[in-house]
Amino acid sequence: MSALPRPSTIFLAAITTLVAVLLYSPLFVPIVSSFFTISHGNVDWSSPTLSTYVALAENHDILTALRTTLIVGVCTVVLSVVSGTLLALYYHGRRSGRSILQFIIFLPFLMPPIISGLALLIFFREIHLERSLLTVVIGHTVFVLAIVYRTVLMRLQSMSRTLVEASYDLGATGWQTFWRIILPNLSSAMVGGAILAFALSFDETMITILVTGTQSTLPVRLWAMMRLGFSPDINALVALILMFTVLLCVLAARFLIPRQMATERT
Amino acid sequence: MSAAGSTHPAERRLSLLVTVLAFALPVIFVLVPLAIFLVYSFFSVDQGTIIYAPTLGNYVRFFTDPIFLPVFWNTIVLCVSVAVICILLAYPAAYFLTTLKGRWRYALLMLLLVPLLMSYVIKIYAIRSILGLNGFLNKALVAVGILDQPSTLFVFNMNAILLTLSLLLIPFAILPIFLSLERIPQTLLRASDDLGASGWQTFLRITLPLSLPGVASAASFVFVLAIGDFLTPQMVGGISGFTFGRILYSQFGTAYNWPFGAALSVALAIVVICAILIGERFGRNRGTSL
Repeated sequence: MSALPRPSTIFLAAITTLVAVLLYSPLFVPIVSSFFTISHGNVDWSSPTLSTYVALAENHDILTALRTTLIVGVCTVVLSVVSGTLLALYYHGRRSGRSILQFIIFLPFLMPPIISGLALLIFFREIHLERSLLTVVIGHTVFVLAIVYRTVLMRLQSMSRTLVEASYDLGATGWQTFWRIILPNLSSAMVGGAILAFALSFDETMITILVTGTQSTLPVRLWAMMRLGFSPDINALVALILMFTVLLCVLAARFLIPRQMATERT
Repeated sequence: MSAAGSTHPAERRLSLLVTVLAFALPVIFVLVPLAIFLVYSFFSVDQGTIIYAPTLGNYVRFFTDPIFLPVFWNTIVLCVSVAVICILLAYPAAYFLTTLKGRWRYALLMLLLVPLLMSYVIKIYAIRSILGLNGFLNKALVAVGILDQPSTLFVFNMNAILLTLSLLLIPFAILPIFLSLERIPQTLLRASDDLGASGWQTFLRITLPLSLPGVASAASFVFVLAIGDFLTPQMVGGISGFTFGRILYSQFGTAYNWPFGAALSVALAIVVICAILIGERFGRNRGTSL
């Protein structure tokens, strides 16, 4: 944009700062609380401590839930990347039937999670599938499939057709072309999609609450614990998850923004 | 890749198989559950067991019972307000981002989007502690002298839900608005400047109209996410902050009336579909949208 007059720039910068402060305030509170004690809205700055982190290492409930979340996340990533990639490959360049299938894939992502979750809940009951981690994984996969599908499809569309044609011209079979040309070109989009899928699965709460059995994932466990209020070690967990999340963001950006574009933009 | 144009029977059978597989997953796990769900909304419940006989009773109850329509309406108003608040805060921020150069622009955008990926449940909890009677907000307002004593204005009520949802959903408004602002051709702004328009005139006549599709997508995103949320109202709403999502959720838990819950969900789905269509309709103008 063209240069703005000074007062409006200051006004805009002030609003942006306010937004940033608002967005980060709910992250700031637990992180500060993980190192200091907060009571009735006052921070006791005099006694920094790592005791919350020690307590976290001994909280078996949380660690079990964390492990469940990771298992669900990994299964979700594998299922959604494999099926999302296959669907994208199948539908790339195809006209008939694509828009309807795409619409179906995007439905759980567009619909409020309470609707997707409840629909699955009733479905599992009708087919007599006990609520378990399997139902959670199915729920998560259905939810994140759209993201992976879209990420891979966009990369496929930006891929030059000449590469595939050259491969055929040089005598490669369909399989060889797939393994040597298409898959390597898609790999970074697949990794990026996998990271996004994992991040979404890691935090998915609303669908999970509805379709989970006795084993709950971390967000669901936290949600249940909140009715009573948190023990301080949760703050330590929050601080750790925040760092992990930032790392995931940086990674996802690295894989999803093509190298040239990143340098062009800077 | 598909073997295009081959008519070999074996290959044709294979391609049919692939087609069936391609449809199977989404159809079985998305379409079938939604269809069953819709069918369920026409069933009823008698003493804890579901009666599999079609009836319009659930819908009649939704429209005639004095409880549901007002809550439904209030929830829609609440979520529209959330969308308005988010846009009022996100628009200036997104605009500011586009005035920045190169690296800074994307670094700051990233900074404003990262909180999205941070645990939803934990954010709700933290916001609750900020809004609480002894929370940071009350402390700050008393310290600045705006309030004499801590207020219960934003503790366990509709205001708390409004503030919490807005806070959670601002990033969803920033992104589409930023993208639409970024896509406005610089030449238009320069032309406007050359023709003697003031900064304000350029903004009102060029920038603002061209960014409205982004605003429409942002509004529909935020609205849909807000209306589908039942965790936030449950967590910060208390007894007086009753929203449609909570009623819906309770039908599947304490009330144990799945068919009625399904009917309520259909009502919710209709509102959501309308919001998405409106967002699409206005979000696609003039080729500057997502």
